Amino acid sequence: MSPDGSRSGGDAARVGIGGPVGSGKTALLEQLIPRFIGRGTNIAVVTNDLVTQEDAERIRRSGLIAPERVMAVETGACPHTAIREDPTLNIQAADLLEDRFRPLDLVLIESGGDNLASTFSLDLVDYWMFVIDVAGGDDIPRKRGLGILQSDLLVINKTDLAPYVRVDLQRMVAEAKEVRGGRPILLTNCATGEGVDAVVQQLSRDVLFD
Amino acid sequence: MLRLERILGYASDAGMAGPLHALEHGGKVERILLSGDDMLRHRLHVVTDRGTECAVALPRKEKLGNGAVLLLEPERAILVQLERQQWLTLETDDPASALKIAYFAGNMHWPVRFEENRLRIALGGPEQHYLDRLAHLLQDGKVRRVRDA
Repeated sequence: MSPDGSRSGGDAARVGIGGPVGSGKTALLEQLIPRFIGRGTNIAVVTNDLVTQEDAERIRRSGLIAPERVMAVETGACPHTAIREDPTLNIQAADLLEDRFRPLDLVLIESGGDNLASTFSLDLVDYWMFVIDVAGGDDIPRKRGLGILQSDLLVINKTDLAPYVRVDLQRMVAEAKEVRGGRPILLTNCATGEGVDAVVQQLSRDVLFD
Repeated sequence: MLRLERILGYASDAGMAGPLHALEHGGKVERILLSGDDMLRHRLHVVTDRGTECAVALPRKEKLGNGAVLLLEPERAILVQLERQQWLTLETDDPASALKIAYFAGNMHWPVRFEENRLRIALGGPEQHYLDRLAHLLQDGKVRRVRDA
């Protein structure tokens, strides 16, 4: 730590959360926020929605984080355009949060729900995870979408639903491992928080370095 | 874990070349090998070619580049080296096939280079993954794979 209390290196880590509609990105965010705050990480959040501020409002109303630390980006178009092709709006939002709440340690940037090909620009984030869920089908990993292949961390959520949607979770994980070439994969149930501590540990190790 | 938080200069800088040269003779220069994609990052948890675990956390205004020197001490230097980019090269003399393959590569968001009748795809993962996706375009023989020299 530097004398002003910020992490040395100055700027906050920026971590992206992407994935298909309904996979549990916002639910993961809701589980991550109290865990990071609990461990003393100074955080802020940027959410992305098409033409509303639905996810930002959900997080602001959650009571998990001071509402002014949550900014919404309305993409107005395909969500991946705002996290990959032209991430200017998200960069500006993250910059603004960093200026307001310096010294921040971490800015979590949640993409709008997209398809399996969505990826984050590394101009915007230092690290990004891709959230899929078992209810989307156990064939998702072997379809080799760019999000599955290129994300720094793949999160398979809603593991509790596997028996109810006839998903072979073991095979799903094995196929994910096969296509990801050793990149990490973690399993979560964001409804209960199961598995989320491991996500926090992974981010702490890989981008917060503590 | 060793924290590296600034780019001190580049190996080609006049002020860097001398000290690095001397350290190199003593086997005291460590390298962080990075892909082109990883070079864009500002935070990296990496291990040098000599096994030193490093946390790279650069100010957002700084950009890594090939030869960036992150540590320069009397007994050790650490610099960044760009990994050699691997390419998949395809060739065709058929205009319709050229259009199809260029459209397909764009649709896949693959970074490419055009060289006369060749399309070069910058690989970001196992080559077989790319060949699997291209199988339908390669099967009639109008598009050929060219092995790089």
